Amino acid sequence: MSSTLQIQPVARKVTAISWLPPQGGTAYTDTDLYFVTGSGGKHKELVLWTTRNPEFPNPSPKHSADARTNALATVITKVSHDGDVQDIIGLSSSVLVTASSFGTLSIYNVDTENTSDKCIWLRESVTAHKFRNGESAVATSLAAQPSGSADKEIASCGEDGRIAFMQASRADTLQSYEVDSTVITDICWPTAAQVAVTTRGGQIKQFDRRTPNEVAAVFVDPSNTHAFECISAHPSQSHRLATGTSSGTILLWDVRNPRMPVSEAFHVHATNVWQVAFDPTDASRIISCSEDATLAVTQWVAEGSAGASALGVKPERTRGVRRLSSMFNALSVNCFDACPYTRTNLLIAGSDSGNLLMDNGTDSEFGYDFH
Amino acid sequence: MQTRSKPDKFVVSRDKEATTHLFPGLFPVGRQAEWSKQNRTLTFSIHPLNSKLALAVAGKLPREKLERDTKVYEQDQRVTICGLAAVPDERLPFISDTHAVFVALQRLVEDPADSADRSAVGIEGILRMSTLYREAMLRQVRVLQEVTNTNEFIEEEIEAFQSMHAIWHLFEIIYLATVAPGLSTSVVPYFMEWLNTNFPAPSAEEGRRIAEAFSTADELVKRDGLWPYLKKLAIRGHVSILANMLEKLAPAKLLSPAAARWATAVSETSRKMPLGSSEETTGSFNARWKRWNEEVKNTATSIGCLLNKDKKSDDDDLALESLFAIAEILRGNVDTISAESELWQDVLGAVMLYSEPTAQAGRLPSLASIIVEQYESSAFTELDRALVALLNHDLPEFLPLCSHIDHWLSAHIADLMEHISIMDICRRVFAVNPREHYILALCETYLGHENLWRIGLDYLGLCKTRSGISVMEEFVMRIPLDSDRKAEQVLRVCNQYGLKNAYDRIHRQLGRQKWQRGRLGAAIDHFAKVADNSSISLICDQLWNEYLGSGKLNFGSVIDGVLAAGLKHDRVQFLSRYRDFHECYRSAEFVQAGKTLLSILVSEIAPPHAVADLLIDSIPLLEGDTLVFSSDDTFELMRCAESLTMSQPSSRISNSSVSIRASSQNGIDRSELSIFNVACSRNLARAFVMS
Repeated sequence: MSSTLQIQPVARKVTAISWLPPQGGTAYTDTDLYFVTGSGGKHKELVLWTTRNPEFPNPSPKHSADARTNALATVITKVSHDGDVQDIIGLSSSVLVTASSFGTLSIYNVDTENTSDKCIWLRESVTAHKFRNGESAVATSLAAQPSGSADKEIASCGEDGRIAFMQASRADTLQSYEVDSTVITDICWPTAAQVAVTTRGGQIKQFDRRTPNEVAAVFVDPSNTHAFECISAHPSQSHRLATGTSSGTILLWDVRNPRMPVSEAFHVHATNVWQVAFDPTDASRIISCSEDATLAVTQWVAEGSAGASALGVKPERTRGVRRLSSMFNALSVNCFDACPYTRTNLLIAGSDSGNLLMDNGTDSEFGYDFH
Repeated sequence: MQTRSKPDKFVVSRDKEATTHLFPGLFPVGRQAEWSKQNRTLTFSIHPLNSKLALAVAGKLPREKLERDTKVYEQDQRVTICGLAAVPDERLPFISDTHAVFVALQRLVEDPADSADRSAVGIEGILRMSTLYREAMLRQVRVLQEVTNTNEFIEEEIEAFQSMHAIWHLFEIIYLATVAPGLSTSVVPYFMEWLNTNFPAPSAEEGRRIAEAFSTADELVKRDGLWPYLKKLAIRGHVSILANMLEKLAPAKLLSPAAARWATAVSETSRKMPLGSSEETTGSFNARWKRWNEEVKNTATSIGCLLNKDKKSDDDDLALESLFAIAEILRGNVDTISAESELWQDVLGAVMLYSEPTAQAGRLPSLASIIVEQYESSAFTELDRALVALLNHDLPEFLPLCSHIDHWLSAHIADLMEHISIMDICRRVFAVNPREHYILALCETYLGHENLWRIGLDYLGLCKTRSGISVMEEFVMRIPLDSDRKAEQVLRVCNQYGLKNAYDRIHRQLGRQKWQRGRLGAAIDHFAKVADNSSISLICDQLWNEYLGSGKLNFGSVIDGVLAAGLKHDRVQFLSRYRDFHECYRSAEFVQAGKTLLSILVSEIAPPHAVADLLIDSIPLLEGDTLVFSSDDTFELMRCAESLTMSQPSSRISNSSVSIRASSQNGIDRSELSIFNVACSRNLARAFVMS
């Protein structure tokens, strides 16, 4: 089962993407949504975009122009970035953090009220990752601490096998620790006191934030030895993790059982899974993107019963996967972000073909095969 | 006899290339002589992958041969990198779009059952892909036209894309659209559509301007350019618009009564022009056509007679003359058509439309040659020449002309020609496989580009020829691997296209890179992928020596990472077991520690130079309070010691007793050997007593 993504060419290799949280925390009253993309290769830059909130069906006159040109989103401004943008986190409507291929973490300020050219600017940046011989190491990923506080902690990981922590308000609070001998591919926070990383050596390593020098636990998939490309934690069940492998499989982990930590494997992609995440609005789904130029939404747990759906409480959902692709996008989908601020599932993604891809989650059928 | 010399097809044309001047130059204008006297000249080097050039000032003679007081200039220490942008940014979306179509087309041709739509095979499937290519070209023209700050370059690009579209569209009509089964096979309606899409005339603007005056017939007649416009309508086959206009202007008082009468007549006649339909047979259509043609001829003759009469009275009736021309065009008079047309394409279209409305694609060469002969071929643009070659079905001539217009065009047209099996005729003319040749030429521009290398590789891979693959293999090893993810992508391409050799080399290269950066775990991982056991051994030795040097066992994290990845290598196993030994010893599990140590020695996974150190490590266990080694174990230890001393010439057994650990490089220390021997015999005695 595959669906077609909406597509907009942007002539940039889109390597990272993130929604900006709306000012009030939810987007119920906002007619415009904002997101940021980062690109690499020839054009290393950050671009601030706006798109219409799909929950407002009547476009204002300003947007009827968009409807005519059929654009999914319009550019507000661009700034150049030092190195390929490896990851972006939109922390609030006015702050975002980026990781670069030169190993630096940068904090940018955004002002969406002021739609002039200069509404996005670099506040500070710090080098977090470099090799022992002094060469800069790629910072592969970022994760923000899931805490209620305004000043969140940002964790990053890199090809130098180090993880680094930094307060989002101050770059000089950076601390870093060497924790692996291979490449660390991704990082996430299962709880506010725990981080977990995936390595190219095929391991998940968990750390307590208070003692980041010591590995608290290591998990491997005993049945297979593929490299792990990405990781994501369930938003509410901290023992549940999802990882994507270099062979295109998504593994679901239950780390309460150290003997059999892998609870299930879904073969949803043909090759390297670059990013994986539990759907922020419905954690019974896992979203993933891959080198095989597709996005996939996996319904990993069956939900609702026939009775409930008859009463209209919740539609019945069977397990399965929905594949999203576009004929005009032949190269790797590098990144995606699902919008947690609207009821409509707005999924945006970026690819090596230089396209912005979008899906507004109309509940189409899920296929049944994971193969 | 034909005397026209054909261009040599084996010579790659360079006429698209232009000279680029550096500004400011590296040495001042007009001072070359002075410059040259100072022993200075220029040196350059071309980047192996992209179109960048490194330029520097260099001495003509080496430094040693110069007198000591020769001046050295500060600015001469500089290296200038100059990039000749091969692919403009504006083209990137077009390139990625058409790459996607190209990939889909190859898949479709290769394995039609695999494609999403099973019915989309054969010509129809290819036709659909061809339409997608054309849409991409049209989209590119639209995007470029929307660019606000137009410059010369953008205008050139627009023109290039319009030319490409015109060629592609005509190719599609001749080889795909009119040969699709179940369609009316006359080429004429397609040709007229092609003409009106690619060479828009009469322009819509012109029509609008004239239509503004539609309020009264008189005002309409007064407009300048009305009659030329009407003639153009006739030439382009817009007969219904023509009929409407004529009907509208007929009541005008400014017209002579004769002109007014004939305007109505021509209007009525042109309205009656027969239109073909798929249900009708060609024969019955031809019969209807003949009747209509007869009628037009009569009209034309009547107007002609009237004009002849008027001429005597020396009274110019522009309207009547134009009506005569229109009628002549409608009856298919080649001379009138040629006189009234601007482009040769117009003539060809009108002649076909009015005299051979059922012509098939096969008739195009003979028709085209008659018409094109009347034009000065030196005034022809590249586009004209390519179109004429295409109309003549002269594909060996056509392909090189396409490559003059754009490499993209020649590569994709050649690919399409291959898939519809019309390439054979070219194979006999070209020395190389034309599809491969043009695809390789296209790739050249893509491969050096930071964003397009992946697309370039796909083209090379889908070329499916030996030289395509070998160019790919050469290239893929030179891609800068600036991140882990990019390395993964490159390796995946190697796997996808079966580039074993490159896969191997890239892993070794990555291994060395990681090694230099001190990422030993990652380095072992890469070497393990290609079973480069000697490099892994070297890294393990490095770890071992670091341990010997520092006395600190730090390699745990390195080997854990690679062991988790399922690596089975003796040296890595050795380091891992040795660490186990240390852990047991530290936690005072001496028996277990002894067992581990012995198993390392027995299984011979340790490098020879480490055996001595292992034997020394056994001394505390032999001399400890608890009995660790049984008599058999002790014999085994002694056997190891013996084979070690036997394997080394006695001169290498040193007498020095400097550092214990340093001894390992040169063999075992004699004093330590004796300690070991004593410890063994004591333990042996103890073991016998205990048992």
